[in-house]
Amino acid sequence: MSGDRRLEGRTAIVTGAGQGVGRGIALALAADGANVVVAARRAATGEPVADEIRARGDIAVCIETDCTVRADMEACVAATVDRFGGLEIMVHNAFKGGRAHRLEDLDLDLWDENSRTAAWASYYSAQIAYPHLAAAGDRGRLILITSPAGVEASVGIPAYGPVKAAQRALAKSLAREWGPLGVTVNCIAPVAETPALAYAFDERPELKERVELRTALRRIGDAERDIGSVAVFLASDGGSYVTGQTVVCDGGSFMGL
Amino acid sequence: MSTSNTGSLDGSIAGRVVVVTGADQPLGQGLAAGIGAAGAVVVAVPTDALGTRPDAEVAFAAVAAEHGPIAGVVHAAIDPVAFERVPMQDVDDARWDAVWEQTLRRTLFVLQAGHTQMHAAGGAFVVVTSVVGMAGAAELAPFAAASEGVRVLAKAAARQWGPAGIRVNCLAAAPEQVPIGVPSSDLALSPPALGGPGDPEADLAPVAVWLLGDGAHFCTGSTLSIDGGVWMAP
Repeated sequence: MSGDRRLEGRTAIVTGAGQGVGRGIALALAADGANVVVAARRAATGEPVADEIRARGDIAVCIETDCTVRADMEACVAATVDRFGGLEIMVHNAFKGGRAHRLEDLDLDLWDENSRTAAWASYYSAQIAYPHLAAAGDRGRLILITSPAGVEASVGIPAYGPVKAAQRALAKSLAREWGPLGVTVNCIAPVAETPALAYAFDERPELKERVELRTALRRIGDAERDIGSVAVFLASDGGSYVTGQTVVCDGGSFMGL
Repeated sequence: MSTSNTGSLDGSIAGRVVVVTGADQPLGQGLAAGIGAAGAVVVAVPTDALGTRPDAEVAFAAVAAEHGPIAGVVHAAIDPVAFERVPMQDVDDARWDAVWEQTLRRTLFVLQAGHTQMHAAGGAFVVVTSVVGMAGAAELAPFAAASEGVRVLAKAAARQWGPAGIRVNCLAAAPEQVPIGVPSSDLALSPPALGGPGDPEADLAPVAVWLLGDGAHFCTGSTLSIDGGVWMAP
């Protein structure tokens, strides 16, 4: 895509890369030269993305991974390092649990989906990638995909904001902890065209117009061009002095940072 | 819209029943003392009654049965394991569970049980957090994550329960504040502008009293950093 190949020779894992924002980030990182591991819970969704990347002449493999299972994440990281010789860029994007609910009715099943995929999997991603990010030094990157709801909460999905907030605090803390190694830790808070958003717009056609009207740029982002490009920047040498931050990529809707 | 069930716009909380969690820890103890001194009927609910939703519901219902309708809840309970400084690579699943998962669940159960008691007549929550969550801190990542999770859970409650006259605000204490006991300068933060992290009863409790009272009737979803001037964002 960019032609700059800024990430040539570096290796990235992207969780939840079988669709939506994760897919866009995987495509963008690969287009800029990274070896990309498409970590998807189901190979049926991950393999087509890896195929798509390879069809462009870029480098990708799919590793079926449930990011909420420590052993799966350990195996994914080990296989990545075995295949490509290292791991410079860990992107945790996978999420499940965004169903509308009342807080007084929130049960532990729905809470667990939110907590496991956002908070626990961020902890696993960080910890299991750590030795390799540390070895990569000032090329080491941890990127967590959060949401504006992690700052201002979501009125419709109360369980969503807290787990997204946890990712921001984790990023800030690890940015401080790993800074002496040169490793950066940041969050991206995107709004982009995804299957989940398309479904929501299908259900409630008036929602698309409302979202666009409150968005300064009057359009919904493209996962590869608009969000993936930010991940590429953070992962590249140009992003090496940015750490502990949340980059809100939503076309100018939430401006609370 | 009613914002309290016994209220007066002078902000007095005299005679109101206020549940305090974490009152066996220095910060919660100081807050409880200050709120009691302001005339509220303070009832401590022990942390071991907050481990499941049914336990929390039973504990809060028992308070209401014995003392009358609950008008306020101050949630300060946290497992001291949260304040142990451990590098991320040495955190194990038991620690992550104790610090992240149990802190969030306990807060969820307190909010839900408080909602059960207060949704008919309104009321106020004050949720105690730490500026460490907003700032981030090396070797305190699980605590920072939990602190921010709690803070945004409180905001979600504020958004959903506003129409029921339930207000939910956060009081963020300094890292020096007991029981953390870590100087802000050790966490890459500015020292408190007012010279110290404050005394829980003398310096922090008056803010909790204000948040519980009707003087704060239009304040919800907010975080007040009552840390003597460590954290000044926004």
